[in-house]
Amino acid sequence: MFEKSLYDLIRGLRNHKGTEKEYIDESIKECRKEIRSTDMDLKSTALMKITYLEMFGHDMSWASFNVLEVMSSPKWRHKRTGYLAAVQSYRRDTDVLLLAENQLKKDISSPTPAVISLPLVAIPHVINPSMASSVLSDLLPRLTHSHAAIRKKTVVTLYRLALVYPETLRPAWPKIKERLQDDREDPSVTAAIVNVVCELGWRRPQDFLPLAPRLFDLLVEGGNNWMAIKLIKLFATLTPLEPRLIKKLLPPLTKIIRETSAMSLLYECINGIIQGGILEAVEGTTEGEEVARLCVGKLRGMMVIEGDANLKYVALLAFDKIVRSHPYLVSQQQDVILECIDDPDISIRMRALDLVVGMVNSGNLTAIVGRLMRQLRHAPIANSANNPANDRARATAVTPYAESDDSDAEESLRPHEQRSDQPPPLPEDYRINVIRRILEMCSHDTYSNITDFEWYIDVLVQLVRVSPSTKATAAEGGDSDQSDDVGCSIGRELQNVAIRVKSVRPEAVDAAQSLLFVDLRDQMFPSSGNGGQGVLEYAGWVVGEFASYLTKPEPVLSSLLHPTSLQLPSKTLTVYLQAFPKVFASLASDEQISWTPERKTLMSLLMARIIHFLEPLSTHPNIEVQERAVEYLELMRLASEAASGTDTGTEHGEFTDPPLLLTQAIPALFVGAELNPVAPGAQRKVPIPDDLDLDTPINPNLQYLLSQAELEGFEPDEDDVYAAYTEPPASFNEPQPPTAISASERLDAPHKEPVSYQNATEDEYLDPDIIARRKAERRERYKDDPFYIDPEGDRGSGAATPLGRIVRENNTELDIDSIPIMHLELEKRGPSPGGEEIARQRSPRRAPRRVEIMGDETLGPDEPPSHSSREDLVSPRFAPGQARGKKNLLQVDSSGLGTLSLDDDDSSGRKLTRFELEQKEQEDAEMKRALAEVERLRLEMQRASERLEVKHETLVKKKKKKKVRRAEVEAAPVPEPVAEGEAVPVKKKKKKVKLEGEDAAGEDGQAEGAVKKKKKKRRVVSMDEGAPVQEE
Amino acid sequence: MINAVLVFNNAGQPRLTKFYTQLETSVQQRLISEIFTLVANRPNSACNFLPLPPLLASSSKSSTPSTPHNDTPSLVTYRHYATLYFIVISTSTESPLALLDLIQVFVQALDGLFENVCELDLIFNFETLHATLAEMIVGGVVVETQLEKVVEGVRSQGTVAKRPVNEKGGMGFAGFGRGDGGVWAGR
Repeated sequence: MFEKSLYDLIRGLRNHKGTEKEYIDESIKECRKEIRSTDMDLKSTALMKITYLEMFGHDMSWASFNVLEVMSSPKWRHKRTGYLAAVQSYRRDTDVLLLAENQLKKDISSPTPAVISLPLVAIPHVINPSMASSVLSDLLPRLTHSHAAIRKKTVVTLYRLALVYPETLRPAWPKIKERLQDDREDPSVTAAIVNVVCELGWRRPQDFLPLAPRLFDLLVEGGNNWMAIKLIKLFATLTPLEPRLIKKLLPPLTKIIRETSAMSLLYECINGIIQGGILEAVEGTTEGEEVARLCVGKLRGMMVIEGDANLKYVALLAFDKIVRSHPYLVSQQQDVILECIDDPDISIRMRALDLVVGMVNSGNLTAIVGRLMRQLRHAPIANSANNPANDRARATAVTPYAESDDSDAEESLRPHEQRSDQPPPLPEDYRINVIRRILEMCSHDTYSNITDFEWYIDVLVQLVRVSPSTKATAAEGGDSDQSDDVGCSIGRELQNVAIRVKSVRPEAVDAAQSLLFVDLRDQMFPSSGNGGQGVLEYAGWVVGEFASYLTKPEPVLSSLLHPTSLQLPSKTLTVYLQAFPKVFASLASDEQISWTPERKTLMSLLMARIIHFLEPLSTHPNIEVQERAVEYLELMRLASEAASGTDTGTEHGEFTDPPLLLTQAIPALFVGAELNPVAPGAQRKVPIPDDLDLDTPINPNLQYLLSQAELEGFEPDEDDVYAAYTEPPASFNEPQPPTAISASERLDAPHKEPVSYQNATEDEYLDPDIIARRKAERRERYKDDPFYIDPEGDRGSGAATPLGRIVRENNTELDIDSIPIMHLELEKRGPSPGGEEIARQRSPRRAPRRVEIMGDETLGPDEPPSHSSREDLVSPRFAPGQARGKKNLLQVDSSGLGTLSLDDDDSSGRKLTRFELEQKEQEDAEMKRALAEVERLRLEMQRASERLEVKHETLVKKKKKKKVRRAEVEAAPVPEPVAEGEAVPVKKKKKKVKLEGEDAAGEDGQAEGAVKKKKKKRRVVSMDEGAPVQEE
Repeated sequence: MINAVLVFNNAGQPRLTKFYTQLETSVQQRLISEIFTLVANRPNSACNFLPLPPLLASSSKSSTPSTPHNDTPSLVTYRHYATLYFIVISTSTESPLALLDLIQVFVQALDGLFENVCELDLIFNFETLHATLAEMIVGGVVVETQLEKVVEGVRSQGTVAKRPVNEKGGMGFAGFGRGDGGVWAGR
């Protein structure tokens, strides 16, 4: 038979363009055969091939025993292949790990350095606690091996051992420390130890303080930049514990910052100074000033001078850390940071975005939000359907394919950077992030940064248009997922502004109204997808609650009742159901209008439409929708009867009273105390009345009543129970007057025109229609203002021509006479510098409006801000699944180290920790066992299903495979020859199976199931008896 | 520490996958393709740091900023050489700029071992590729950053095979990119 080498396999792959899958399946089949061979070369080659294919996602867990066989070969070449295969393929649940342990121990003790390296490198990938304790004794002597390469790898391997088995450090740490203290130790080993200490350091910094002098010497000696970086990182975790270190560290660090040419070291020095709290510690001294200036200056240099994207990125990272403690230092660099918001690179933009949120104030808010809005508006909304990211992520395995042209792969790796220059499309999560950040910045500290709420409402409306579409599942799920949607967040803001800021309530209601209009929907919402639909829920509430502010109540009502509303998510629909009676009430309640025939027809028509809309909803699957629909349906029917029953006035001019139900009863349902924002903690502060008895049952006969009700069925009785629920309680709390902003706060509020007015950048981020409206409003506002120069009003009338334009037109020779005289009161304002600026400077500053923002209502003293802050209303709420702190995929858990003290002097503490440790270990072990069990079962099932899929391909292969696997299962811990023996008769059977043909198909699935079950059982048993097997 | 080192080509075909934590094969592949999607869309001028791929991003937000470091991978660094992307996933204890140097050393070491290395060398000698990485990183911790020692360490294990003779030879090259410019002299 022809055997392929790895080279042949790869060649073959490249030659089978289009049929790679078949080729790979064929090759794996061959490998399965070859790997059973007694010829070690053949076995090793086969293993190498399947290891290569594993890289592309082809499972090789079935070969775990063969891996072990190759590992135990005396030949180094085979060993290397075996160890590589083990590293790549062994998982936590690989059962031959128990057998591999002895092999590892043997190879660690080998006299050949090359052989020792193999287990040293492999152990971190396969280690588990029980193995760790057994391997430890073999590893420790390797710390003093004559080869530096062995010593440094041993140090790292011991660290990984300690992660799963913290007790490792008890015997190992003194020896590692000894190596570190040794001046004559190889620099590579020292560097490796520093790396390990840095990893250990942040968990238990206090244990490493005694090493500080040695580490400091290493830092000052310099030489190895990589090690210096790690030392600085380590010191940054030590300085908070030992303030004296700061004084000592500062000179060498500033020296490095000034002198080094290595940007990485420079950056880490600055980073270390920030993270280690050195900036804070030396604050106020001249030295501190100097250091702070030096750091910030260098960071600025990284962003400006180098023009290197990487430096920009890390500088932003560093600024992000400084901004928490030294906001003023960062705000000095505002210009360069703001530039980064528009950087073509998404990574940099995200960093800058994080940073900017911390820098925002009332002066720069409009400018920053303007920049972000511009981005959102100009980048096309990515269509999630044809987004390649979604497709690729679903693919589980990459099939190696044959490259059409080999020359590509032969290109030397030396030339750097060959990438497309296309700007990346804005990813959706970035879009969402930007919108959330805008809302966060604007709503920060109950809108303290906002000076112009009309602008904010326009921003909100614009945001709706650029919101990305939400996932279909979230929209259909309707209930819990909805609050996650950005549309909802925008809506919440609109609602909040409408409630809190009375002065802009008409504008807010206007915005909500335009969002609701069905015929404007194409204009107000993104053209594709369902983006921003979440806002409808809140817009619906706003138009309902503040129906009296509506400018076009009738179109609003017909939009609410539009047939498309029936398709809205149930949550929105419930709000709509509550909103249109309110709008209707405001339409119908006017007592001054005579009950004329026209009036009567109009009202009847409206009610008929409402009833028509409600009828299908009374059988809506959502219980909340159904309930409200039924309630209002009855009410409307009643009102409709009343309307048709009331006679209209026959003659013109004669006043006829409209039906009381329309003017009094229905509106009375919705008017009353005004809604005010209530602080989240206020409810808790309501004192419990002394006479409130919550223990005595209200009706001692409850049980009896219930049982009776069950027997008799439900009988609506209109006695006092009904009244108790419908009539408002007598002791209704009078609403407190809205807490106004104190006078001092008003004084502090900057009296400043938003930047965007002067810069006229609005055009770039607001849509034309919004701008047009704003302009019209502005014109209206200033039409009587002599100082206002209308940018568009100058056509025709020469008197209004701005001076600036004339200057621009006659740039060289200024004809004074042609300047039309404007009635500017120059004597009052003094001479202007002239030039282009004039037009802008003359434009009057609008007297800053004092906007009253309602604070949260609460009782008693203020809660700590963490509870009552409004941020939690805006910030994304994670779905319950996400909120749970799940372990990250690649995370290596080092939390076990946190409990282990390396301090040898404190014996009492040590005993305690040791006891705790044992206890914890036991618990952990139990937990792990349970988890492993669950995981194993899951894997079993998954693999079995995968196998089942494979089985459907060819019958012959199936039958054979199954038998062989059964043989394998039965012989799992037994050496290979036995399995071989059992596999032989299977081959004979092969022909027979061929004859049987399709009849076997049905059986096969069942048989597979049986095998699966059997295997599962077997595994469980072997795990419970883990220890005895190990002893064998 | 370093959580994973990946190498794949411009088409997303993996050439080296090394995960320093045990991970299901299928999850590995998903992660690779997620990172490839992120990296393939980046323009030339972009920086060498990626936002976290969806698989890793989900749980990273819960980390508290009170502790300076934690175990969650938070940094994805990459470099692009000709047809290959080199990716390092690491936690916050690694320095981003230093990792860029580390990748540079890795590629330089391969270049020294294969003499004008190209993707084909790495395809046909993937054991050597792994051995070179093992000289630099063990269990997610960097053990060697000096070019000569890495090359020496690999050579001491035996001769490094060149790519098969009947494959065409490498093409001309035009020096290193900015890696040689001294900006990244972090080693």
